[in-house]
Amino acid sequence: MSIRKQGVTRRTLLGSAAAGAALTVLPGLIRPAAAADEFKIGLFAALSGPASLFGPTQKASAELAAEEINKAGGILGRQIRLIPTDAGGPPAESTKSAIRLMLEEKVDMFVGSHDSATREALVATIKGKVPYIYTPTYEGGECAFNTYVLADTPEQQIRPSVAYMMKDRGAKSVYLIGDDYVWPRKCNEHARAYIAENGGKVVAEEYVPFGAPNKFEEIVTRIKSAKPDMVLITLVGADNVNFNRTFAGFGLDKDIGRLSLLLEENTLHGIGADATSNLFSSLSYFENAPGEANTKFKAAYFAKFGDKAPQLGLIGADCYGGIYCAHALATKAGGTDAKKCMAASEGLTFPTAAGQVTMRGRHVDKTMYLAACKGTEFDIIKTFADVKSGDECKT
Amino acid sequence: MDPLIVTQAINVLYGVSTLAVLALGLAVIFGLLGVLNIAHGEFVMIGAYCAYVTQTGGLPYLAAVPLTLAVCAIIGVAVEWIMIRPLYRRPFDTLVATWGLSLLLRKIAEAIFGLGYRSVNIPLPGTVKFIGTEYPIYRLLLIAISIVVVAALIVWYGRSRTGSRIRAMVSNPELAQAQGISVRWLAAGTFVTGTCLAGLGGVMIAPLVPVQPFMGLDYVLRAFFVLIVGGLGSVAGLLSGATVIGGVDSVISAATNAANGYFAVLVLAILFLWLRPRGIVARS
Repeated sequence: MSIRKQGVTRRTLLGSAAAGAALTVLPGLIRPAAAADEFKIGLFAALSGPASLFGPTQKASAELAAEEINKAGGILGRQIRLIPTDAGGPPAESTKSAIRLMLEEKVDMFVGSHDSATREALVATIKGKVPYIYTPTYEGGECAFNTYVLADTPEQQIRPSVAYMMKDRGAKSVYLIGDDYVWPRKCNEHARAYIAENGGKVVAEEYVPFGAPNKFEEIVTRIKSAKPDMVLITLVGADNVNFNRTFAGFGLDKDIGRLSLLLEENTLHGIGADATSNLFSSLSYFENAPGEANTKFKAAYFAKFGDKAPQLGLIGADCYGGIYCAHALATKAGGTDAKKCMAASEGLTFPTAAGQVTMRGRHVDKTMYLAACKGTEFDIIKTFADVKSGDECKT
Repeated sequence: MDPLIVTQAINVLYGVSTLAVLALGLAVIFGLLGVLNIAHGEFVMIGAYCAYVTQTGGLPYLAAVPLTLAVCAIIGVAVEWIMIRPLYRRPFDTLVATWGLSLLLRKIAEAIFGLGYRSVNIPLPGTVKFIGTEYPIYRLLLIAISIVVVAALIVWYGRSRTGSRIRAMVSNPELAQAQGISVRWLAAGTFVTGTCLAGLGGVMIAPLVPVQPFMGLDYVLRAFFVLIVGGLGSVAGLLSGATVIGGVDSVISAATNAANGYFAVLVLAILFLWLRPRGIVARS
């Protein structure tokens, strides 16, 4: 190198590195001082990926709850600030976001509405340092420290609905089909027990790869030749739609009943009116669920978001309950200290979109609805009041 | 014959023929023009949404065909002129450019229709007795249409003057240009044909799958597998790729389960990329 052209010297390198470091820290310094007074809730929702169709209603329901709580004074006098974060991608990405939210944003609580694989990764990442409220449906058994589960459990979703299908509709043999990950596999373990206690038998248990472009002609043909009385479906999203459309396309919907464990309004629209006969869904919330609480919730929801309001369903409405749970928990515990929250969670009551619930063993007993599908609408045919969660976690 | 085996055999035929039609658009663009069109799946998505729009508009299902051809042709012409033409000899640049295009098309679909699933009712519902077993009428129709479309394309490509001009352009563009063949128009026309074929594939499968902005990703993946295994630049390559990929997937899914079927497809794709990257029918 000639003396004239010095290129990058150590001085310029150190100088630019220091400037770069200062620039990355700058946004944190510039943030207004009022931020220290906010109650930050990291909201894990499906903002991208295959489940992203739920993202808009998850955010909207959570925003509605936050707005209502803020009007009434916020949490412990602090205004809620929601930080919507993507949990619709691979679990590894969500864990990175969780770390960033804990270290940089210093969130006070997490509320998560996403699949179980992501939940397991987040639980391992958060390690109970921040209270974590998990809201949609799941397979039971989550007792991690400082984790509070509002999600429907197999005891709530599967037990009463399978009993109905077998006793009231005379189903004796069941075919199990699901996506290949923790939720369907654990649910099917529970389902086998409930099927046995109703005197039925499982004809076959099959899984399709989760996230692959699956087609179901071969599986439907197998089901056709196995001739079960009903199919218990733990497929999610596009797989759920594809399977049900193929099933009806082959004409199997006439004789074989189907019970799907994650069938909400959006998926039902995808399945379409010509494929929903003899199809049932069991969830703790439907948009047309009866009760004053839901009427009030919907009125507030449509008042705030108007005609462009995202389609309501369990995945979405669950976030409303999640934010209210955060409010109740922090208020009763007087803060977000882990041990105080754990103790405060026992007997905690708070509103959800479907109504008031009480937390016991860090899970929630709830009213479950069994709906038959009529065209692209749900018709609630049975209500199981106050179904115990079946999970008792220590506090 | 055991109805189960007959039905599974028809399923295999259905899997292979729909795969061939869905890969056809990409085979034309990738095989003949050497353009890596990652947005191929989005043109399938556009076709599916055209079918949805036609049906909600109360029109007969076949009206979706001219609508799809119009939309895909317009977008194809614009894309070829703005994005592809400057990048013909630069495969990685076309890969990045068409990736951006696919993001754009998905976002436009999301803006117009939203992220929710739409369903298109099957135009010919019900099943019919076929070789001793009940099989959905619409799927049988798709098998027939796929065979006709691929056969028609083979005949046209082999016999027509435009077909021979395209073959000339593909083997030696400079010489073709010197012979008076307008390579620019021919390439543009080939690209638009590829996008239109993808759109038609979308119209065909729309009643069978959830119609949503991300649906295209599944098809571009499978189409690339077909072309990797089968080989680029010839219809024989497309057919052999579709037969191998579709056949292996279907047969193994029917015999064991779907996970093994998909696994076998991935293993095949890896083996071909590694040991015989030019595919079964390598272009000479």
